[in-house]
Amino acid sequence: MEEPPLREEEEEEGDEAGPEGALGKSPFQLTAEDVYDISYVMGRELMALGSDPRVTQLQFKIVRVLEMLEALVNEGSLTVEELRMERDNLRKEVEGLRRESSAAGREMNLGPDKMVVDLTDPNRPRFTLQELRDVLQERNKLKSQLLVVQEELQCYKSGLIPAREGPGGRREKDALVTRASNASSNKEETIIRKLFSFRSGKQT
Amino acid sequence: MAKKTYDLLFKLLLIGDSGVGKTCVLFRFSDDAFNTTFISTIGIDFKIKTVELQGKKIKLQIWDTAGQERFHTITTSYYRGAMGIMLVYDITNGKSFENISKWLRNIDEHANEDVERMLLGNKCDMDDKRVVPKGKGEQIAREHGIRFFETSAKANINIEKAFLTLAEDILRKTPVKEPNSENVDISSGGGVTGWKSKCC
Repeated sequence: MEEPPLREEEEEEGDEAGPEGALGKSPFQLTAEDVYDISYVMGRELMALGSDPRVTQLQFKIVRVLEMLEALVNEGSLTVEELRMERDNLRKEVEGLRRESSAAGREMNLGPDKMVVDLTDPNRPRFTLQELRDVLQERNKLKSQLLVVQEELQCYKSGLIPAREGPGGRREKDALVTRASNASSNKEETIIRKLFSFRSGKQT
Repeated sequence: MAKKTYDLLFKLLLIGDSGVGKTCVLFRFSDDAFNTTFISTIGIDFKIKTVELQGKKIKLQIWDTAGQERFHTITTSYYRGAMGIMLVYDITNGKSFENISKWLRNIDEHANEDVERMLLGNKCDMDDKRVVPKGKGEQIAREHGIRFFETSAKANINIEKAFLTLAEDILRKTPVKEPNSENVDISSGGGVTGWKSKCC
């Protein structure tokens, strides 16, 4: 019971409402300081009641209750502080993630009809539909020419057209040879070669 | 060439969903062989087979198309030159049957008006996995007034019959004229076939 007078001085300096003000506070805003104020006020009033043994009895209980209240208030404010820190951390984290995803979103936001091509993928699409169309047409043309030549060859082999038939037959043969040589000289310009020209271009 | 090896050239086209067996049907007909490994056709390919009908040597130039959607702009440009089109579905694949109307619309949009059409329900050897009853194929063929066969490239069922029937139907519509002196004409999409049917 020596402490209360000390407390009075401190409180009167810091808190305008005085120690009595703590009793008017919301229980959720109560601090340890307020609990000390309350105990000071109650201690003073108990002292005024005199030294009745019943008062002393009650005083023990009141002290115990005030200690419990102090523990609760301390615990509560600690938890509040922890939660506040946790909240701030999470807020920062959310902001960071939001910034990241919006940056990524700007990159990926290509519209419904677009796709992303991985330039490091050796199997990525490279050629246009027109190029494919041209290559297929050329392939099929060459294939049909091959079939014609095979047929002609078969005719010669089977003796349908004798090799030394005369000028007509020879002309046919000459035509074949020139056609073949034309084909080989044209080889350089085939579409397939054109399409793959980037390879030789890279090396030089 | 001094001597022609055929009297008439018919251009046929195979269409239908990816994986129904168009290439296998053609491979069975042209090479009498079958391969189980599935290799998706890239765009468009063709094979040649010469058959004899009514004493005429008929060269069939059969175009095999890729069923995959991504090739459609390429394949549809080949419809124009076709005199006969085989629309193939897979009797074990309901979706391929449902898409028949889509393929028929494609024919209407891109092929010659008088093109000879035929419907094939392929893989009929796999009866245990069948989901399209034969009757449904027959019905849709009847509705569109076209011929129908159930085929199996694997078991060699109705393949030759289908091609020969289609060729016969085209031959029936073909006006009698001097044999075409042209060699295999590879032009595509141009519609220059030198062939016109005269309906009685």
